[in-house]
Amino acid sequence: MSAARWGDVATYAALALLGAFFALPFAWLISLALRTPAEVYRGAARFIPESPTLDNFATILSDPAFLIYLWNGLKLSASGGALAVALAIPAAYAASRIDFRGRQAVLVGLLAVQMISPLVILLPLYRWMNTLGLLNQHISVIAVYGALGMPLAVWLLKVAFDAIPVELEEAAAIDGASRPRILARITLPLARSGIASAFILAMVMNWSQFLIPFILLERDADWPISVAIFNFAGSVSASTTQLLAAACLIAVLPAVVIFILLQRMIVSALISGAVKG
Amino acid sequence: MTTTVERAPNDGHPAPWLAPAVLVLAVFYAVPVLDVARLAFSDATLIEPATGFSTQALRAILGNPALPQVLGTTVLFVAVNVLALQVAGLAIALLIVRGERRELPGMAAFRTLVLAAWVVPGIANGLIWQILFDEAPYGTLNSLLGYAGLGPVAWLSDPQMALVSAVIANLWQGTAFSMIVFYAARRGIDPTLYEVADLDGAGPVRTFRSITLPLMRRAIAVNTVLVSVQTLNTFDSILALTGGGPGRATEVLSLFTFNTVFYNLDLAGGSVLALMLFALGMALTLLIGWLNRGEARA
Amino acid sequence: MTRPILIAALALAPAMANAQELVTRNRVGLPDAPNTLTFRLTAYDLYSSDPATSEAFEEMFRDFIEARPDWKIETQLQTGNIGQEQARLLQQTRAGRGPDCAMIDSSQLATFRDAGVLQPMNAVFSDEDVADLFPYVREAVTDEAGNVLAWWWFTDLRVLYRDTSVVPEAPQTWEDTREAALAAVEAGKEGILFNGGRWEGTAFDWLGNFWAQGGRLVDDEGGPVFAEGENRAKFLEAVAYYQDLVESGAAPRRVTSITDYDAFNAAAAAGTAAMFVGGNWQYGQMRNTLDPEAFENWEVSELPGPTADQRATGTGGWSIAALSDDPEKAELCGEIGKEIYAGPGNAFQGLLPTSEATYDEYDAYDGPEFDLFAEALQNGVARPGAAIYPEISNQIQILLGNVLSGTSTPEEALDAAASAVQAAYDRQ
Repeated sequence: MSAARWGDVATYAALALLGAFFALPFAWLISLALRTPAEVYRGAARFIPESPTLDNFATILSDPAFLIYLWNGLKLSASGGALAVALAIPAAYAASRIDFRGRQAVLVGLLAVQMISPLVILLPLYRWMNTLGLLNQHISVIAVYGALGMPLAVWLLKVAFDAIPVELEEAAAIDGASRPRILARITLPLARSGIASAFILAMVMNWSQFLIPFILLERDADWPISVAIFNFAGSVSASTTQLLAAACLIAVLPAVVIFILLQRMIVSALISGAVKG
Repeated sequence: MTTTVERAPNDGHPAPWLAPAVLVLAVFYAVPVLDVARLAFSDATLIEPATGFSTQALRAILGNPALPQVLGTTVLFVAVNVLALQVAGLAIALLIVRGERRELPGMAAFRTLVLAAWVVPGIANGLIWQILFDEAPYGTLNSLLGYAGLGPVAWLSDPQMALVSAVIANLWQGTAFSMIVFYAARRGIDPTLYEVADLDGAGPVRTFRSITLPLMRRAIAVNTVLVSVQTLNTFDSILALTGGGPGRATEVLSLFTFNTVFYNLDLAGGSVLALMLFALGMALTLLIGWLNRGEARA
Repeated sequence: MTRPILIAALALAPAMANAQELVTRNRVGLPDAPNTLTFRLTAYDLYSSDPATSEAFEEMFRDFIEARPDWKIETQLQTGNIGQEQARLLQQTRAGRGPDCAMIDSSQLATFRDAGVLQPMNAVFSDEDVADLFPYVREAVTDEAGNVLAWWWFTDLRVLYRDTSVVPEAPQTWEDTREAALAAVEAGKEGILFNGGRWEGTAFDWLGNFWAQGGRLVDDEGGPVFAEGENRAKFLEAVAYYQDLVESGAAPRRVTSITDYDAFNAAAAAGTAAMFVGGNWQYGQMRNTLDPEAFENWEVSELPGPTADQRATGTGGWSIAALSDDPEKAELCGEIGKEIYAGPGNAFQGLLPTSEATYDEYDAYDGPEFDLFAEALQNGVARPGAAIYPEISNQIQILLGNVLSGTSTPEEALDAAASAVQAAYDRQ
């Protein structure tokens, strides 16, 4: 066997070890989600349930509220991601193409915003949204997601813009096109995979956000799944661990599907950026 | 940037380009941030509004005998996590790149598995690992270790081990981010460099040290900043996993802040801690930036 | 001739209203009813993920609103994160955006009362109703002027569960408990389990041992006194009881990681533990999840005390309270508590009523376990009605964690807890 073959074996061995670590919690969730209440307390001794059931998934999916929560989650995280990218595009373009004094300071300043965890400003934020009359409206959460996701998006997009040869823009500029026109017609189409990956990363980070929607949205009909999922965590009269497990799996699924569908795009965008980054 | 002459004069000014971002930050962030600073120097609680300027909260928090322990735990938690997250992220990224180059099947599936852990909500992450770490005779991990003839581990009941367990749970969820960043950085390296190294007969270790690592240095620096700050602000998974216990063994600064506000309803104290959290994050960023600049010159 | 038609029409009216869906996800009543009450409730009843429970409560709410056609109730759900939810509720109420009526955890009642946000519901509850409450409940829901500020509609308590195949006789004292647990360890079981991790249940379950000796956490003004005078000795005694259980091996070291009552159900189902300190509600859970033969072995008894006649248990539960200063809304809120939750709602869920009379009223309380619960409730002690309680609890959780994991001695830990609580109290 060649050295490369041995290398393949070693690669698989290492991946198997890491894979076990990453798969174990999911395997366990699946095992729990397939159990009847009576089997939940049986622990690891019965990893494969004696009488596996899909009832838990049926219960979750037949609850109309659950689908509303999923939809809210999708809507909030996608809109928040879109806002973050929309705000980041001009800023990143300026950082990439305009040589101005204090450019470094602006970039560091944006990074400073990234330092402000929602936890830090949560309660003042609640009052401020109340003052603005935006409490209990999805727009408040979307705005905060936009602000929260923007710094990373600026960073990713600056890298993506840097990778586009400036000569292409200069040619258009000689033809008399204005800067915004150049951005819209030439730069953005070329940077589309960078934009997509910035959007997806922002969206995915929003997907699992708990605190912001929890504080800013008071009505359960407005909640995203990341908040509502904990309603399946407790009950006085019966164990609901199996329902929680099923809900967790369903909640993770949309994000996983997005990953699978768009992985190639994210990866290629990040690579093209990384050349110069 | 030599062709600015051809452009309209105002095109060269960054202000209109930065305006949307700055405006949104100002509208939604500036007021709350200033409010935090104001509350930190007040006597506000969740119940009672502030009545005036006071350094009482500041003194109470700084004089809190628990603070040194909390800060120590925080530093340890962040340092170990940042190291572990990046080593794991780098290892996975390099393994996947190698696998893809050799066209081994299963690489995309593996990558998806790691990414899936990333999108699990933090509190759910804590709940899942709490079940896995269960130290009861039938607990999952201990049962598995038992089959291998290894003794039970006091995952969550031993104060030192509990911090390790919290790191493991965070590692499970957080590795994906580092993996993406490093994967992209590694794929961005010109393949001809590796071909040359191969022709020179350089072994994998040598190639890693003289090509991969130096060329990924910038990605590692940026990732260190982002991961440090993410970890510093992590509290929901610990909240669900241990609640900060046993005792204060896993109570990091962000969880301490959360408890101060939501458990003690102490808004002023919580704001002081929030400022501390922010200052720590900034200090970390500047420190890492400074260290990186030194390395870049060297 | 028109009279019978009118009567028929009236009789039909509710049926027609039914067709228009009286109970929806966020509303009870007709959408165009002139008056609206907003009601923040927990996920345990109307919103239960258990279909049988939610259907039963929908029925009760339907009957309730049909008798009040002028009203609709807009329901708001709170998640299971009790601490955060209650802090948020208080914050919203102070900001003038709270619901008109809400479920408030009994442990938070004092905080809400001190904040002055609770509105009297005197019109609904008669003096007899109040007199029939258990003493600790009455004290918590009324103020000096005799106003009814909340209705604590179910209570709970802690009891000692034991597997009678291992521990046939109920231990009466701490010493008995230790002996029985050590014997069970000899037989290959975990002797006794209790909450020891970082959460409210740890402090609260343990406090029964402190209260059994007559210890007091706060004085009449609400100031912390648990580390002073004779309270200090009682506190250390109760800590020593738990410490000794762990160090002798009667309780496994893993108790410092237990932050959930479900852990006890799991141990019972696996048959690995001989005894545990659990909540009364777990009896029903165990009946539903254990094999019938296994369940037969499990019995409950009053928590052991330092001596057989020094007993106490912490008592919790939920209350309903009006946050709106509109008297009509406060009245409706009280009626929801009285007609739905405190009566048939309790009976359906098998929760413990807060008044003697209710136990006799419903068949649901005929089981022998309820005799034991009612008896143990005589020694019930509620959390002190002081705003400093959450911090005291927090410090007890830290203290027990540190002592049981061997990080600090009881004396050191108590001194640290006392000074931390005092510092927090000084700032209140």
